[in-house]
Amino acid sequence: MSKDKIKIEGKKYDEERVRADRTDELYKHIKEGETLMSIDNLRVVYVTDDSETVAVENFTLDVKKGELISIVGPSGCGKTTILRCIAGLLQPTSGKITIGDKECTSPGSDRGMVFQDFALFPWRTVKQNVKFGMEIAKVPKEECEERAMRYIKAVGLEKFADSRIHELSGGMKQRVGIARAMVMHPAVILMDEPFGALDAQTRNIMQEQLNKIITHSERTIIFVTHSVDEALYLSNRVVVLTKRPSTIYKVIDIPWERPRDRASPEFTALRKKILEYLEMQNVMED
Amino acid sequence: MSIKFDEHNKYHRLVRTSIITVVSLIAFVCLWWLVSKIANNAAIPEPVETFQALFDLIANGDAVTGLSLSTYISSSLSKFIKGFLLALVVALPLGLLLGNFKYVREFVNPWIEVLRPIAPIAWAPIFILLFGYIQGATFVVFIGIFFPLLTNIIFGVSKIDKVLIDASKTLGASNMQIFLKVLIPSTIPYLMNGIKVGLGIGWMCIVAAELYATPLGGIGFYVANMITYGAFPQAYAGIIIIAVLGLLTTGLAEYISKRVSKRMGMDA
Repeated sequence: MSKDKIKIEGKKYDEERVRADRTDELYKHIKEGETLMSIDNLRVVYVTDDSETVAVENFTLDVKKGELISIVGPSGCGKTTILRCIAGLLQPTSGKITIGDKECTSPGSDRGMVFQDFALFPWRTVKQNVKFGMEIAKVPKEECEERAMRYIKAVGLEKFADSRIHELSGGMKQRVGIARAMVMHPAVILMDEPFGALDAQTRNIMQEQLNKIITHSERTIIFVTHSVDEALYLSNRVVVLTKRPSTIYKVIDIPWERPRDRASPEFTALRKKILEYLEMQNVMED
Repeated sequence: MSIKFDEHNKYHRLVRTSIITVVSLIAFVCLWWLVSKIANNAAIPEPVETFQALFDLIANGDAVTGLSLSTYISSSLSKFIKGFLLALVVALPLGLLLGNFKYVREFVNPWIEVLRPIAPIAWAPIFILLFGYIQGATFVVFIGIFFPLLTNIIFGVSKIDKVLIDASKTLGASNMQIFLKVLIPSTIPYLMNGIKVGLGIGWMCIVAAELYATPLGGIGFYVANMITYGAFPQAYAGIIIIAVLGLLTTGLAEYISKRVSKRMGMDA
């Protein structure tokens, strides 16, 4: 769509204003591989009536532009808590999260999120779900339609654009979730165990698809998973957490070319090592 | 002869249900006939007399007042619809407000809990005194429909999937946008459920009010009037009309409610 058209049609549409549906453009000046997001000394304490639980402590991490970084850890550690803090859905007890030089304190469209249980609007069709964020950002109708269809195609759901959510399988639902987050061009995409609710076969297909999507577009993704296999298959870096209070045990670089061979010796060796560590952490909990 | 019904065939299920319903209704009439024979009391007329009176009522109207059946029905319906609309207009914003704001809800809740158990018809004498006959009856219907509507809407707001709110926040929605685009649509199936329950109660209220205060007219008045004249078959014919209209209203509401729930992708 040409710029003139946007100006004619969009009444409230100020091109000078930061476009809520294109926050990635705010950070154009940051090159790939440079730090895009900084998480500084995050600490989360859950307070209940009679006790305090430290969920996350001393969590410091720089997320580079264009990378997919996974967070794995023993079950019950604060993986999702960290992600919710980054999304702004949970206020950390202390610590600072910044994208570029902007501090993140509340939720915003610069941090798109994909949820484990999909979180799709059941009264909206596939296309209407994908359009939700753009409607909020008052994207002109034509552009909204074009972009929604482009992303629905990208996740292979063009035949289901007008279907309702309950007509879709789990894998299809999550593809809608991914399209809905990606269509907004957020600076960072947060994925909270996105394939956790899917069966093993669908899971593999989805990982394959995500792999394709990330090799073709330069997206920055923070990916929470409990599957070490998944993390190694998809990530540029894997963050291994300790048990509660969660802090970083190790950050592992995964330099291998994509698509990766799960059966290769280095893959299996590294998976074994991480699994052994997690196992040890879980045993210590008992 | 043996008939086998396939439980998985929609058409078969429909035929089976219809047959059972028809047989059940015939059995009911037989039972009624038996009771009227045993009781041998004018207050329990035989089915045949009653159906004759019913056809007479439909064809020729009320012989005593000269009014047609449709006059009675429209008189009852207009009060009913007014009360329903009033309840909807008041309960919808109030329910959303109470559902959203915990402190307001906790403050208002005692009022609701005190007022809700009172039978709506108990207000009839007071409302008629305060607002006159017609408006008074409207308010009785209003009370009957208002509480089921209100409690269903509050419940619907409380049942909203929190993760949908999270999702809209990460897509940049403000609180107002969440309210309009997420909260209201997800409450609609519960609102429909409230309407369904409310219509049933409201219909009872209007007939009860008319029976109580005959100057209101309407189908309730017709029944009460026939009883004063000792015309029991005619009174029973009126009761059958009331039953059929009640069934139609709730049936219609049930149908719409199901369609809406399906359309909204929820089963409330």
